[in-house]
Amino acid sequence: MAAVRPCGDFKVSYAADMALLDTSFYRAGFAVLVAALAAAPLLLGRYIFLMNIIGIFAIGATGLAILTGFTGQISLGHAAFMAVGAYASAFTSERLGLPFPAAMVVASLVAFLFGAAVGLPSLRIKGLYLAIATLAFQFLIEYIIIHATGGTGAILVPPAGLGRFVVETEVQFYYLLLALWLGSGIFAANVLRSRYGLAFMAVRDRDYAAEVLGINLLRYKVLSFGLAAFYAGLAGSLWAHYNKLITPEHFTILTSIDYIAMIVIGGMGSIWGPHLGSAFVVFLSQGLKILTPLLIKVLPVFGKIAVPAREVLFGMVIVGLLIWEPGGLAMLLRKLKRYLDLWPFAY
Amino acid sequence: MEFVIQSVGMGLAVGSIYALIALGFALLFKATKVLNLAHGELVLFGGYLAIALTQVLPFPLAVLGTLAFAALLGFAVERVIMRPLFGQPLLSVIIVTLALGYIIRGLTVGIWGGDTRQFPPVLPAGLIHLGGAQIPQLGIWSALTALLLLAAFGLFFRMTYLGIAMRAAANEQLTASTLGVSLMRVVAFAWAFAAIAAAIGGVLLGLWLGVNVALGFVGLKALAAVILGGLDSIPGAILGGFIVGLVENLIGGYIDAHIIYGFKEITAFLIILAVMLIRPYGLFGTEHIERL
Repeated sequence: MAAVRPCGDFKVSYAADMALLDTSFYRAGFAVLVAALAAAPLLLGRYIFLMNIIGIFAIGATGLAILTGFTGQISLGHAAFMAVGAYASAFTSERLGLPFPAAMVVASLVAFLFGAAVGLPSLRIKGLYLAIATLAFQFLIEYIIIHATGGTGAILVPPAGLGRFVVETEVQFYYLLLALWLGSGIFAANVLRSRYGLAFMAVRDRDYAAEVLGINLLRYKVLSFGLAAFYAGLAGSLWAHYNKLITPEHFTILTSIDYIAMIVIGGMGSIWGPHLGSAFVVFLSQGLKILTPLLIKVLPVFGKIAVPAREVLFGMVIVGLLIWEPGGLAMLLRKLKRYLDLWPFAY
Repeated sequence: MEFVIQSVGMGLAVGSIYALIALGFALLFKATKVLNLAHGELVLFGGYLAIALTQVLPFPLAVLGTLAFAALLGFAVERVIMRPLFGQPLLSVIIVTLALGYIIRGLTVGIWGGDTRQFPPVLPAGLIHLGGAQIPQLGIWSALTALLLLAAFGLFFRMTYLGIAMRAAANEQLTASTLGVSLMRVVAFAWAFAAIAAAIGGVLLGLWLGVNVALGFVGLKALAAVILGGLDSIPGAILGGFIVGLVENLIGGYIDAHIIYGFKEITAFLIILAVMLIRPYGLFGTEHIERL
């Protein structure tokens, strides 16, 4: 990972070499990051809801990064898994009366099963055929949800909480989310440096070659799909309990494309990518929403073109990144760091 | 019986438009191996642009203007977006077409707003009575236009120099390029023709049903048609278009009316899934044999 190792930084054990944060710079940086995230409610004030949305989508996008970025299977139906998680969570907590943590686990596991089922055909159909199949799956799920719930598909969900304690404010939800966010991010990083992650990458680079090397394609492809759906289901469950009202409109094909935008913008081959991408996408769309009333005062036309402006901007950012920097924001950051490593001299 | 005649009529009429849009898909895939997920947005854009032009120009001129603009748009997309990505991995190319879809839809909605618009009545309205079933006359007109255009595209690929060059490049890129076919030109023209086919589809559908944002989803129905016919087969795309139109209106329409409401909308996706599971390369597509 690290491009330039500091002088005198010798690894004397495999454990030290495999460490996620392998230099004191990274360790200090990560500590600062966690501290900043923990202090975010103080810094952001009433804008803390931005962090909640970013966190939820970052968890979902981590799943897609594992599937698309590291296993090379394209999924255009990631929002459908999120929908499965959200509705499963709503069902278990509302109808079955299970507490929120149990509903969350059930939702994630249900999503895992759905993901594994969708992953099964990936052995036979791949590349763009797989993309189209997942696209079809996305529409089928939308349709099934609308018809299974009757009418619009809107469902009220109880707020998150356990027993007497109910998560009511944005800040309380933020700390709940932060724990899950960090946990799931670290879990993903650990999976990706384990045998599973290496097998995923081998499948991405050339699946038949990986099979020759003794990697069970079916197992790892299905596992990758399941894991991706698990993350999406977790995100969906959090979204349901955060929003307290879910409709299929939260999980359309546009959300799926947003997810793709997140991992592309963030950087596909990086564990930081989904988080950076989610932050970028949410800041861009919510920022436009917040700025719109201000801009309307200056430019009255802006009210009409705010939503299209977001779409056009997204599209252009993705196209520009794919052409000039396919590694995304994560790669830009790494390049910046490499530049600063040697600054002010280029040698 | 009435239901069957009516559905077959509607199915063939809609199917001919799907076929036309699917033709653009297949053409582009054959020549460039790019699956253009922004095709539906090209349809949408064509429809809105044509309506905007009819405000200032007589209808035939407006359609011609739309087609010219669609061709320009195709060239621009190839030059600005696709050429720098030539030879990039499949994933990047798919995602870039999604992003292109975003841009085109955003521009369309930004310029014209998202609400439904109607063309001025240029084709005769009214219903044709056929054995007790009623088929809108507009459907027949658009089916005829679509068939005419399909024939024109067919002749183009058979008779003109450029058409033959495009078929050659699609067949064997390297050989064609050694024989003096400019691959860049072929790709550029493939994009232009795909955009033109999409725009015609948009105008026809718009004449019949009016233009609104949902028109973008027609691209997905056409996708089902190409998948069914085989991604790189033009006759397959045309046949697929008709089959999707028929299945959607006959079987989907029947289930929609009698069993589950709204089933018609997902028939196309069920077709996609079924084809994927049984014969992923479609009816006439080339089976891709992978070697290490």
